[in-house]
Amino acid sequence: MRRRAGLGAIQQQQLAAEKYKDKGTNLQESQFEQMTKQMEVFRMKLEEFAVKHKQDIRKNSHFRKQFQEMCAAIGVDPLAAGKGFWSVLGIGDFYYELSVQVVEVCLAANHNTGGLMELSELRRRLIAARGQSAVHQEITNEDILMATKKLNIFGNGFVVHKVGKGKYMVQSIPGELSLEETKVLTVASNTDMGFVTLRMLTEHLGWGELRAKQSLDKTLSEGLCWVDEQDTENDGVSHWFPSLFPGRF
Amino acid sequence: MTEFQWPWEYTFPPFFTLQPHEETRNQQIKVWADLVLRYLKYLNKYQVNINESTFPLFNNETLKRRLSPETILVILEYLQRTGHAAPLDKRRIEWQVYWYTLEEYANMVYDWIQQTGQLNTICTLYEIASGENSEGMEFHGIDEKVLLNALRTLEIKGKCEVVELDDSYGIKFF
Repeated sequence: MRRRAGLGAIQQQQLAAEKYKDKGTNLQESQFEQMTKQMEVFRMKLEEFAVKHKQDIRKNSHFRKQFQEMCAAIGVDPLAAGKGFWSVLGIGDFYYELSVQVVEVCLAANHNTGGLMELSELRRRLIAARGQSAVHQEITNEDILMATKKLNIFGNGFVVHKVGKGKYMVQSIPGELSLEETKVLTVASNTDMGFVTLRMLTEHLGWGELRAKQSLDKTLSEGLCWVDEQDTENDGVSHWFPSLFPGRF
Repeated sequence: MTEFQWPWEYTFPPFFTLQPHEETRNQQIKVWADLVLRYLKYLNKYQVNINESTFPLFNNETLKRRLSPETILVILEYLQRTGHAAPLDKRRIEWQVYWYTLEEYANMVYDWIQQTGQLNTICTLYEIASGENSEGMEFHGIDEKVLLNALRTLEIKGKCEVVELDDSYGIKFF
């Protein structure tokens, strides 16, 4: 495990000591000791601050950035995996690990889900996958959202869409999910079984029939949904999203 | 007999409509092919008719969905390509389906013949398929027509000779 935290501080101290030596200034032993003590106090205060604002640091990326900058100033790297205090925060590893797992879980299920997974299902699968390790933490939906934000480095490879009723769909297929498709998904997510019909789109979204049909055709042609041509209860044709189908798990 | 385990797709209505999107369709056919083999194995059935509209495999009563004969044909033709099915007539309506390929069956039988010291003796189709001695073997209970087809592949390789008897066939393995 890296101990850059301690090394950084020591290096800083050494650097400071050399600087003073070079200038030829006669630093008294006590003054040097004082400076070291002050740095220690500062470091302790920073640690207290970190513990007190742990949740904020986890939730707020702006906050975290400022905090990280502060740490850098005194030679401490909070993103480094390490023993002792910093592993309590373990921010860097936590999100990195989580995003890797999100990718693994989504890609493994893609052939089943068509590349879309509801956030709550993703969370369930992640918790199951992470198992009973000693550093196991309860994953919140916010954590997953934060981790998927990191995945934006893959371009449009991993995107999260809000689809109404407080639901989020994680898209793990290449290419963009248009606003239109997101709307179709929203309508589907409001049914028990995860399907839409032409009529549902015209009624709930106020779309004309032609637009509704084009939208459905596009969604189908991108492999996001399946078509059911025997749906006599629903005007004959319906489009289904396997990622929203409860029978799948 | 334990209850048959249906995959989740079997309760998914669109599963019974041949999908227009290529990748989805490929996935769909694969799942169907696997399901067909498993289900027929479960019933110990070796033959299907694409017009069998009440067969639970192709017709989900509770879901009110069924496969069209055209779609069943697509699935069987896929199974044909993987060596697990063959049409019994030119119209491609009656099909023979085997959970193992003919070659796999042939090798199983040949290995068993070797291990039980039956080389150079004559066995009947019945003895191989349903005899006491073959109990416990994967091919035990096999349909005799399928077995014959499998043994023909061995014959071509010169590993056996099929002889017509009164109302059956005798096979000598080398």
